[in-house]
Formats: sequence, C-alpha cells, structure tokens
Amino acid sequence: ETHLADDQGGSPLRDFSEAMQLWSDFQNKTHPLSLSLTSQLRLILTPSQSTKLSGSFRTGKRLNIKKIIPYIASSYKRDKIWMRRAVPTKRSYQILLCVDDSRSMGETASGTLALESLVMVSRALAMLEVGQVGVLGFGADVFTAHHLADPFAAHDAGARVLQRFRFDQDRTDVALLLRRTIDAFRDARARNPAASAASAAGVDLWQLALVLSDGLTPSSAHDAIRRLLREAMEERIMVVFIVMDDSQHRKGDSVLDLKEARFVKDAEGNSQVVIERYLDTFPFQYYLIVHNLEDLPNALAGLLRTWFAEVNS
Amino acid sequence: MESSVAQVKVNFTTTHEDLQLPETKRQLLVPADIKRYGLSRILNSESMLNTASPIPLDFLVNGTFLRTTLEEYLKTEGLSSETTITLQYVRSLLPPTYETSF
Ligand SMILES: [Mg+2]
Repeated sequence: ETHLADDQGGSPLRDFSEAMQLWSDFQNKTHPLSLSLTSQLRLILTPSQSTKLSGSFRTGKRLNIKKIIPYIASSYKRDKIWMRRAVPTKRSYQILLCVDDSRSMGETASGTLALESLVMVSRALAMLEVGQVGVLGFGADVFTAHHLADPFAAHDAGARVLQRFRFDQDRTDVALLLRRTIDAFRDARARNPAASAASAAGVDLWQLALVLSDGLTPSSAHDAIRRLLREAMEERIMVVFIVMDDSQHRKGDSVLDLKEARFVKDAEGNSQVVIERYLDTFPFQYYLIVHNLEDLPNALAGLLRTWFAEVNS
Repeated sequence: MESSVAQVKVNFTTTHEDLQLPETKRQLLVPADIKRYGLSRILNSESMLNTASPIPLDFLVNGTFLRTTLEEYLKTEGLSSETTITLQYVRSLLPPTYETSF
C-alpha cells in the first residue's frame, strides 16, 4: 500500500470549475511550449537507435579486437568476432512531478509559475506516452495530487490536481519530500505491471522526479537532503530540482543573489558572523533556475540530455 | 525527519541615506531565533554595511521595535517562517547594554 497521505481532508479544495478554468487557461498559454518540450523529450527519452556497438556475431559493423587472437588461436573456428549496433531496449518511465505547496510560493509569483510549469510539463509527458505520470504536493507534509497508476489524459484529471494546491503549508520540508518520493517509487516499481515482465520483454523502467519549488528550504536540512539524494541515486531514481525564480518583477530578490547569515564559533570560542551565498550549499546536483516559463523546455531538455549522456557513458 | 533550525527570510530597509545596502544585499536568510543584537551584528559585518566601527541598530517591524526573536514575533502575529519579514533598521537611540550572544 502507498505511504502517501491521500486524504481529501486538511485544506479545503479549490472550487472545481475554477480549477477547470485555470487548467484550460494555462493549457492555452503553454501549448506551444508543451509541443516544443514533447519534441525535444521524444529524442532524449525514447532513443530509436542505440549508439553502442556490442556483442559477438559472425557478421557485423566493427571487429571486436579482443576476439582476434582467440580467433587465430582457434584456427579460425571461434569466428564470432564482429560487433553490431544493439537494438535499443524499450524504455518505460514513471515520472513524479513534485510541486511546492508552501506559503512562500504563494507570497510571490513562484506559485503561479510552478502551476503553469506543471501544466506545461505534464501535458508534454502525456503527449509523449512514455509511461506513468504522478503529482505530489509538499510543504510541512506530502500529499498525492495524482496517482502514478491513474491516467493523466482524462479531461478533468488536471483540474483535480490544481484543486489541491493552495500554497498555505507552513514549512518547506524537502527532506520529507525525498523520503516519500523514494518510498513511492519503490512501491511503484513493485506494482508496475511492466516491471514484472520488464527484463523478459526488454523493457527498462526509469524513475524520474521533477521538483518545482522556489528552492527555499532550511540550510540545516541540506546534509539530510544530500544523504537522501544518494539513496535515490542508489535506487536509480533521478531527481531534478527546478527552481522557480520569478525575480523579474522584484529587483534584487533572485535566489541567485540570496545570502544566508550564520553565527559560527571561532578558535577562541567567540561567535562570528558568516555570510554565504545560499545556493553554495544547495544539495541538488541536477538543478535549473527558471526565470521565465519560456526558458523551461530548453533548459529541462538540456539537463536531461546531459544526464542520459552521463548514465550511458 | 530530524529537526532543522528554522530560517527566516528578511528584507532590510532604512531611511538613513548613509546606511543604505545595495539591492542584492537587502534580502537575507537569518536564523529564526535571532534578536535585535544578532541582526545588528549581521548588518555591521564586513559583508553587509562594513562599518568602520560598529553602529548599534534597532529594528522596526510593522512600525514597532523588535524586542523578541523573529520566531516569537511570527508566532504572536500568527505567521509562519515562510513569510518574508520586512525590517527597517535605524540607529539605536538606547544606551548600549551588555548582551550575551544574540
Ligand atoms: Mg517555502
């Protein structure tokens, strides 16, 4: 069973017809961006040609140098000395979109930017049909706004997701989000019908979490977050943090400029003021900073391309 | 999850022409348990106003002097640490007192 709170209790939901209107407004506004993201992700997420040459065959594309000596030594009997371009394994994805529902998102335009991004990215993924898409909300607690197992294409699915976001949670616990994300993916891997027959069918299951947030979480939690990111990596879960930085309307208020002050005891035991750039201790290896929605398709595609290149190398 | 020390985002403003901060330094994350003295030390530090000799500062929040920690202030106002607090700093008119840490 799922570990995620799924109750409709807690905060009252936004009005459904209002959420429907909001979804279609965002959908119209972001449609060209969704199309752009879809076409870019198609190339990255569903490779039609494997770039690697491998295997041992009687005929092929390139000689496997390591097989030459045994070939000669066996009086030309061990003649599987060729490598071929391998048929790419079909990939299936489970993708969780994790949206920051904390109050800091509602106090700025970051909340709106996150919801627009959510609509844009989720529609691009639905058009791609590469697997399952789920939505989590997080803040002081974590809730499921859309289950991985449920289809996202249904007309009202998106509106039901938007209904859940009110940006009124009193903390931003990213460590808790990661704990629940790892648990949800572990659970989903076990339940995924494709996963059980995956190895036989040659289907590769990939799990990806995209976090949409203003990036503000207590620095004292950064070490715990780093440990959880290592755990996620060991389970082959990729986590991308997308920092919503709507600083164009608020001068000098970009997360890029944000500093933090701490009091640190020096060698003599006197407390000293230390001021550092907030992002210097930011624990996410893969993160993007988005100032405008228009930047997101290229930035996200670029980052995923880099990541797949690293994984495949 | 393990407990984490809360941080609050503050936005510094002042009417003193000679004590203005550059725009990129006006937003700062500070420990939530900070009081007037800690804030004054931060503003006097090298990375902020970089004053030749410390200028004791007082802080106005919503028109009243801050006398508690920021955390306590937020609590009495029914706000959370997700709220950015605007702090107006002014030269302290009170005689300096000895205070431990902040
Ligand atoms: Mg927040």
